Amino acid sequence: MFQPKKPSTMNSHDRSMCVQGDSGLVLTTDPKPRLRWTVELHERFVDAVTQLGGPDKATPKTIMRVMGVKGLTLYHLKSHLQKFRLGKQPHKEFNDHSIKEASALDLQRNAASSSGMMARSMNEMQMEVQRRLHEQLEVQRHLQLRIEAQGKYMQSILEKACQTLAGENLAAGGYKGIGNQDMGAMKDFGPLNFPPFQDLNIYGGDQLDLQHNMDRPSLDGFMPNNDNICLGKKRPSPYGGSGKSPLMWSDELRLQDLGTAPSCLGPQDDPFKTDIAPPSIDINTDLDSISEIYEAKPVLSSDGMGEKKFEASPKLERPPSRRAAVQTERMNPMINSGSVAQGRNSPFG
Amino acid sequence: MAMAIDNAFEVDFSSYSSITTTTTTTTDDDPACTWNDWGSPVVDWDSLSSERDEFQDLIESMMDDGTELELARVGHETSNSVSTDTMVAHQETNGEDFKGLRLVHLLMAAAEALTGANKSRELARVILVRLKELVSPNDGTNMERLAAYFTEALQGLLEGSGGGHGKHLITSGPQHHRNEHHQTDMLAAFQLLQDMSPYVKFGHFTANQAILEAVTHDRRIHIVDFDIMEGIQWASLMQALASRKDGPPTPHLRITALSRGGSGRSSIGTIQETGRRLVAFAASIGQPFSFHQCRLDSDETFRPSAVKLVRGEALVINCMLHLPHFSYRAPDSVASLLSGAKTLNPRLVTLVEEEIGPIGDGGFVGRFMDSLHHYSAVYDSLEAGFPMQSRARALVERVFLGPQIAGSLARIYRTQGEEESCPWSKWLAAVGFKPVNISFANHCQAKLLLGLFNDGYRVEELANNRLILGWKSRRLLSASLWTSPDTEL
Repeated sequence: MFQPKKPSTMNSHDRSMCVQGDSGLVLTTDPKPRLRWTVELHERFVDAVTQLGGPDKATPKTIMRVMGVKGLTLYHLKSHLQKFRLGKQPHKEFNDHSIKEASALDLQRNAASSSGMMARSMNEMQMEVQRRLHEQLEVQRHLQLRIEAQGKYMQSILEKACQTLAGENLAAGGYKGIGNQDMGAMKDFGPLNFPPFQDLNIYGGDQLDLQHNMDRPSLDGFMPNNDNICLGKKRPSPYGGSGKSPLMWSDELRLQDLGTAPSCLGPQDDPFKTDIAPPSIDINTDLDSISEIYEAKPVLSSDGMGEKKFEASPKLERPPSRRAAVQTERMNPMINSGSVAQGRNSPFG
Repeated sequence: MAMAIDNAFEVDFSSYSSITTTTTTTTDDDPACTWNDWGSPVVDWDSLSSERDEFQDLIESMMDDGTELELARVGHETSNSVSTDTMVAHQETNGEDFKGLRLVHLLMAAAEALTGANKSRELARVILVRLKELVSPNDGTNMERLAAYFTEALQGLLEGSGGGHGKHLITSGPQHHRNEHHQTDMLAAFQLLQDMSPYVKFGHFTANQAILEAVTHDRRIHIVDFDIMEGIQWASLMQALASRKDGPPTPHLRITALSRGGSGRSSIGTIQETGRRLVAFAASIGQPFSFHQCRLDSDETFRPSAVKLVRGEALVINCMLHLPHFSYRAPDSVASLLSGAKTLNPRLVTLVEEEIGPIGDGGFVGRFMDSLHHYSAVYDSLEAGFPMQSRARALVERVFLGPQIAGSLARIYRTQGEEESCPWSKWLAAVGFKPVNISFANHCQAKLLLGLFNDGYRVEELANNRLILGWKSRRLLSASLWTSPDTEL
């Protein structure tokens, strides 16, 4: 705990912590609790003083009675009144909290009056900075809209391909179930485009509640057919195991050059795969590559990111990747082989 | 690691998940060879790319320290894994790094054997056999997967380098690959590519922003798109046009897509499909739009006269090359577009192309190594995007990057030492196009975009009209803006 530099001056460089008491008073938590004269408190003080006929007429006792603020002692009022009488410049009395609350403009005015020319160019600089910031915000906003537009368009491509694929599969016969599930996989890629722009802070908060945001426009706006069989159910937490293991069965149907064997879905007790809705894209692609996106999450969530995200947004990947990438990537083949050994007959383990 | 031991009897992966902070942050200590954050070797190509003799020496020195021993044994024995293992055993701590570096050495040796002063197809063959034992396109580290594609490409050169037939094989190689891929494979890979990296968006958005700025006061806009692909670039442009605040509201947008013969991704049929999609999208956001296509000649030459122009429209030529998911376009075709563009007096030419290293006189091997460097940066950047999903990345690599690598090497091989690949931006400048400045907003957008992905990406403004997207220290993609020499600015 820092010692206050000068107990009498509550300047903005004071480092002690403040707590707010029940009465609304802000007290410091250092050994000698001092009262923080916030804007409100000071205003009440000034009101009381005015009521009592001015600083010369008012006394600490009467002020205390008039203000009627619990916890306010004569000691507090005595010193404050003294300063008030001497300076009659309310801004000086404020601590850093108050300064924050006091309008920046006031400070600027003070500064300007005292240092004329320099302040003016400071103002200009400030305006320039503000202009740039504003422009940046504009760019950010536009970028988000553009990414969204691309995502929407991508969606239409995927949908079309879904339908084509479904048609093909139905025609091929016997693969009916797969057709739907393939569409599901394709659909699932829609939102993959959107997570990135969440980081543009369009939702405003400092702490982006990613989960919360994921439920919003990204799913709503761009997945118009929420009840479409492709999607299955709208998922707040896509990991909420709808257990779309059947998706993986499509593996059986085509041996692919990657040689992933059919039984990859077998081990539902596989720690990777539980509760993950594996979005297999296509019977020909290595489904595992896609499901891996979601496989990874349980592994990463242990480092506190807690993102049980369906969509593997690049941003969401970032922090874990920075920290763990080297190790995890090197181990990745081994992780794969681990899970492979458990269930798949993959040639490369 | 203590935690790992405690959890040793739990499921395998938990021990890995607990290691979150022990990243091997390797710093650039070695002058010639550094390790990037992902443990892949990054050789300082600048120090190697001077003369061929140095390559010879380097290879020989590498051969001396044991590689030669290996190779000799390969010739005599069927399995030499024993010797390899003993070599590796000494390098336990740097196991991965050592393996990666060894792959680089072997690749370089193969390239040298294929085209160097002491050409030896037999030696090249032997080295490639060895390489194939060590690499796999689906497994292992970035380096191992990358080396797999380079090995395959070299193999193709080795087999195909028999004159005219070989040439045919080479140029049709990538195409052949591509057509093999199921359409949904490509879509899936494309989607993944967009999610794990900013390459596509960078190219599209930089061009679009420039277009928007160039046509602020126009009512009619006409864009000639060299390689429209799925048309995704125009979705975001349409959105921006439909909602633009300054200038005449909702200007009319016309896009002419160049189509080619055959049945590939820019055949007439595919282009028409793309056109339908774009029309539907434009309708959905209320953007006045019309779509045309313009057929290229059989040799893919562009004839400016084939493009319908309308009075009063602002003409933009959009030329995207070398995005990761793009097919190769012959230089003659590109040249015909750009020179034809000149006669059309476009308001703006947007050009996105790969940024290659300095063209020294390293011949094939030099260019080969540069290409290796380029793609290893790309692989690393993808890994940064999806660190755990090596299978997803393997898909993208298989569908897009592998064919690009093969095509790229084939071209380098065919034009050994020739200064064939001058960057198109230089070409445009030489032909007389005037540069158009990259605006603050555009640069800002690029930075924001990269910020969504990974800190490893960087954007540089190399010239007033050129933005470069790079990964770590390697420049990868260049977006430049030009205007017709006769346009009043």
